[in-house]
Amino acid sequence: MLSPRWRKVVRDVWLHKSRTTLVVLAICIGIIGSGAVLNKWALLRRVTRGEFGASNPASATLRTDSIDAALLQRVRELPAIRNAEARRTVTGSAKTDAGWRTAVIFATNDFDKRIGVLKSEHGEWPPSDGAIVVEASSVEFSGAGIGNPLEIQVGDAPAVALNVAGIARDVGLPPGWMEHVVYAFATPATLARLGAPAALNELQIVVSNPALDREAVRRVADDVKALVESSGRRVYDTDVPVPGQHAHAGQIDSLLLTQGAFGLLALLMSGLLVVNLITAMLTGQVREIGIMKSIGARGGQIARMYLTLAFGLGLAACAIALPVAAILGRMYARFSADMLNFDITGFSIPLWAFGLQLAVGALLPVIAAAAPVLRGSRISVGDALRDFGILGRGDSEQPLLLRRLGGVTRPLLLSLRNAFRRRQRLTLTLVALAMGGAVYLGALNLRAAIVGSIDLVFGVHRYDMVLRFAQPHAADSIVVAVARVEGVANAEAWTNGRAILKRADGALGNAFPLTGPPTNTQMLSFNLIAGRGLRPGDSNALVANRRLVVDDSSFAVGNDVTLLIAGRPTRWTVVGIAETGPSAAAYLPREALSALVANGGATSVVVKAALEGPASQLDLIQRLRAELADAGLEVQSGQLVAAQRRVVEDHLLMVASFLGVMGQIMIIVGGLGLASTMSLAVLERTREIGVLRAIGARHGAILTMIQVEGLVIAILSWAIAVPLSLPMSVALGEAFGRVMLKVPVILIPNAAGMLRWFVVVVVVSLVACAWPAYRAMRISTRAALSYE
Amino acid sequence: MTQPLITLRGVTKTFPVAAREFTALDDVTLEIDKGEFVAVVGQSGSGKSTLLGLISGIDRPTRGEVYVGGTAVHTLSERDMSAWRGRAVGIVFQFFQLLPTLTAAENVMLPMDFCGTWPARERRDRALGLLERLGVADQADKLPSTLSGGQQQRVAVARALANAPAVLLADEPTGNLDSRTAESMLELLAELVREGQTVVMVTHEQRARRFASRTVALTDGRLVAPEELVHA
Repeated sequence: MLSPRWRKVVRDVWLHKSRTTLVVLAICIGIIGSGAVLNKWALLRRVTRGEFGASNPASATLRTDSIDAALLQRVRELPAIRNAEARRTVTGSAKTDAGWRTAVIFATNDFDKRIGVLKSEHGEWPPSDGAIVVEASSVEFSGAGIGNPLEIQVGDAPAVALNVAGIARDVGLPPGWMEHVVYAFATPATLARLGAPAALNELQIVVSNPALDREAVRRVADDVKALVESSGRRVYDTDVPVPGQHAHAGQIDSLLLTQGAFGLLALLMSGLLVVNLITAMLTGQVREIGIMKSIGARGGQIARMYLTLAFGLGLAACAIALPVAAILGRMYARFSADMLNFDITGFSIPLWAFGLQLAVGALLPVIAAAAPVLRGSRISVGDALRDFGILGRGDSEQPLLLRRLGGVTRPLLLSLRNAFRRRQRLTLTLVALAMGGAVYLGALNLRAAIVGSIDLVFGVHRYDMVLRFAQPHAADSIVVAVARVEGVANAEAWTNGRAILKRADGALGNAFPLTGPPTNTQMLSFNLIAGRGLRPGDSNALVANRRLVVDDSSFAVGNDVTLLIAGRPTRWTVVGIAETGPSAAAYLPREALSALVANGGATSVVVKAALEGPASQLDLIQRLRAELADAGLEVQSGQLVAAQRRVVEDHLLMVASFLGVMGQIMIIVGGLGLASTMSLAVLERTREIGVLRAIGARHGAILTMIQVEGLVIAILSWAIAVPLSLPMSVALGEAFGRVMLKVPVILIPNAAGMLRWFVVVVVVSLVACAWPAYRAMRISTRAALSYE
Repeated sequence: MTQPLITLRGVTKTFPVAAREFTALDDVTLEIDKGEFVAVVGQSGSGKSTLLGLISGIDRPTRGEVYVGGTAVHTLSERDMSAWRGRAVGIVFQFFQLLPTLTAAENVMLPMDFCGTWPARERRDRALGLLERLGVADQADKLPSTLSGGQQQRVAVARALANAPAVLLADEPTGNLDSRTAESMLELLAELVREGQTVVMVTHEQRARRFASRTVALTDGRLVAPEELVHA
């Protein structure tokens, strides 16, 4: 049987149901917010480490001429090499429900792969001749289904309907739905049916020593390159990823870090709310604490009672929050895994994650309550029975401005002054509401900055579509053929290639794409950060993009760099640095590049359409393909710039969307804080409200007084949130720029956003104060004046 | 020679009020023997409740010494004070001060619970016995809000007696009761004294003097002869 003191604790909880519910709700929100992020992190970490590690990713990939079994064997015999495999990657088009889309087909002789292991999900594996297996992340986007044909066209060869025999997942690929690419796997014989070259030309290697760093792997790759070249073949480029790291590791880390930070912020906010509520709870219990002490209770016994109560409330909150956090975490992990092309099915949230949430959930209210409980339990019996309260008299001194404020009505003045009576409680409520506002406005600024940056990046492109050729052709003949097509406003033939930086010490960097427009191009308007763009007369000038400079500082303006292009070392002078997008890239004069990679020809054409709109542009791209085919210019793939932009937007805006959601969670916490603050204000001022009633205050006046007091706090929080959003915007922009795309920091909060947030806080305030105001309105004069 | 149960020696108590000090008790020396029923009388602000607060350890003297049952109350730490108070002193307040979420019996059991007096399984029986003795046994399982003022005050007295304290301190125990109930409360206290209980009672009631074995009068914080007391 419970002793009387514990019975008192239990009955107090029941007596103050609404306040107890608020405390539990506040803890719940904190645990749900942070727990969902933690669960997602734990799941994603398990999945990415587990699945990515299990796929045995390639240490390096070398692109060369055809690879035969003898060469493969010689590479495998190198002591630093654990395994080597060959494949071919072919780019073409696939006919999806939404029209023709880029298709990337991987082919190999041996699908019993030990490098970049694929996981069969449905149907047949490996693909048989004449059939393809579609990568899992491309299935929904392409509308492909097992047993159905999928039309694929490579170059100018006629489209071939291939049977989709199965679905497999390659965790090393970015998701097809996000890249707007159909990834598929086929045998070399199937490639031949598509009219594509069937010889394998990509050499994937895995080094023997898994502990090697990127530079050491690069040295091993250089040895392999030397071996391949000794056989008379050329190595066009070498790609060495960071060992053991998924291609999107940076994105994952930044996302998890940002989310973790906001999860903690949500926890902190709910902690502040709990401090507020427990302080108020104890303020209401001061007299009873005095009575208990007068009959022999020691401070420690009192503290234990209230801390146990806080612990119990934490456990109750955990009982609700943990399952919700698990569901949300799992949903969020599935969404994120989808973004990263992992399959989360079958992974359970680790027990330590539950344990941590339980510990934090149960201890958070205890920690939050510790200071007010200790203060309350130390109060002397005399002070407690005189009911001076935990904070002395409780009321803080009024700000000078309010004391001297004139020209406002008495009831309004009363509301204004009431808002500042409990300064500590007001501060905590303001912090919660203002932080929510700052995150919301910061997220809006970040979103605007991202869209602005994407505008800038795509503003560089003054064309609407790009078509790539299977073989180089004379630039003039391409432009003449394109100009014949109705609806073309302008066109330029460009040359594309790939390069590897060769450092002074002989070490090679990663491969990156090269674009060669004419030096007098009208289709490219560089968004320069430093130096200048390409000029007529330039022969060995190079414009690097910012990402390339971030990856390798050799690309400083004025520096000479050696690039391996088509296997040949060539010298270039960096004349400018431009912001052109999230991936590394460089721009060279077309003539200089085409001499190296295309026998003086061009490999793509960029076209400006006369009409805007996706339908007319899709129609134009189809007519262009047909016209170019008629002219004997075989088009390998074609893409609208708008589609490319959508891919980039999909990648970048999800971060801003997440931050917007966090801002909304925080306004809920802030709203709860305001509701609790106003409920307590009504409780503490019951006698005062009785006096107001006794001297003639009507229902409406009492209701207005409470609502106006809430609005004063809400509007004040809005006024704080606006300047607070500035450092928030800077921090978010910096964090985003470090891993994603450098975005301009927008310091001036968006006017529409500020107005929207103002409306949100006003509505939140009206809703949060509705119940306290109703309670205040219902207080009878007699009951209020006899209130103890 | 028998030692007095309560001794106050040169006790002064001041409170800070605005920019000055207010002297509530001024150099008071007083002895109360075991089994006495002392009525402390005086006008509002004369220092009556302060005197009770010093005896119970609720307040500490600014100067002077307070002994109760041989314990130097003025030297006790806050922690020891609570434990001592729970065992040595029972307090009855003007507004009863029962805990609203506990039944009458639970309110009486609470001091035993805090001080660990009486084995846990015997506490309810003792509480019921005390309520029986005070004539409110039939109210044992009711919450205070359902009891009349007189019943609540009887429960409060039972709670004050729960740990069998050496002294019962009552601060205006009849101040919130009608005259008939007040009379019966005074009779009850007198009966307790007859049974050997020491009672110190602060009161405004003239009739309380009829029940008390001694009256102590205070004016402006100083002890005066009762007959010197001028009634408003």
